[in-house]
Amino acid sequence: MKRIALVCFAALLLVPIARASERHPSQAELEGEVMCPVCGTTLDQSSSPAAQQIKGVIAGRIAAGDTKTEIKDRLVAEYGDAILAAPPRHGFGLLAWWLPIGGIVVAAVIVGLGAWRWSRAREPAPRAVQPDPALERRLDDELRRFEG
Amino acid sequence: MARSARLTAQALAVAVVAGLLVLLIWRVAHDDNTGVSQALDSGRHPTAPAFDLNRLDGRGRIDLATLRGKKPMVLDFWASWCVPCIQESKRLEAAQKRYGDQIAFIGVDTKDFSEDARRWQRKHGITYPSVHDGSGKVLAKWGGLPIPKIFFVARNGKVVGELVVEEDLTRYLRQIAAS
Repeated sequence: MKRIALVCFAALLLVPIARASERHPSQAELEGEVMCPVCGTTLDQSSSPAAQQIKGVIAGRIAAGDTKTEIKDRLVAEYGDAILAAPPRHGFGLLAWWLPIGGIVVAAVIVGLGAWRWSRAREPAPRAVQPDPALERRLDDELRRFEG
Repeated sequence: MARSARLTAQALAVAVVAGLLVLLIWRVAHDDNTGVSQALDSGRHPTAPAFDLNRLDGRGRIDLATLRGKKPMVLDFWASWCVPCIQESKRLEAAQKRYGDQIAFIGVDTKDFSEDARRWQRKHGITYPSVHDGSGKVLAKWGGLPIPKIFFVARNGKVVGELVVEEDLTRYLRQIAAS
């Protein structure tokens, strides 16, 4: 319970940071989230003329006061979805976000079920104990002698 | 019950693997890297892949398919960040003055920011119309990077050749003008 409260608190702390990043994006963070259209890397890892051009566009839009979403939308309108380093969180792009999570959940369920079945299979089956009649008789005799 | 569940799970696993295999085969079959440029290299003259894109100057669209059979074409793939494109586009601009009434000159501004592209055209005095292929999907069909790439298309829609050396320009322009 305490842990859940801690996680919720941490998440609440991150909300203003995310909002500030949306309203006032930095050049560096956008360069890490936008691809260079000719080199297959993010802008921050490229110094090609095409990357320099987009860096200039981003700097201009930041100076004009655009939000992160507005800048990204503008770039997508110009270059298509592939300009974003992460797939869009709508339409077919959603699959790229949810498929790994779904895969992890399914794998966890399979591993959990397997472990449960394996642990049950290893439990020793209760066996009905059939005492040896001779031993039982001897035990009774010993007990009688001890009590008597 | 346990047996039928196991069989179902196995069938499902086989179906998933088969599905992934089909996907792989389909991807390989459709990604054969045979753009126009590669086809010309191997001695073939394919029909010009059609496109229908917005004009850079905002005056509607250009649909390549509608030009087929009417006029031969020169296609110039360029971008404002491409330094060698300046010289090539200027040469085409000069060629347009001579052949403009017989041949359609069309630029394809690719993987570029349209505002910068318009500024670039004004700066270098390029007047033939260009379309905007920001995603580079059209460029990919014609052979992909690097640019500039200049193609010559005959009146019947077949790609005659690609500009490789300077002398090709006059030769191909005469060839397609007579087509």
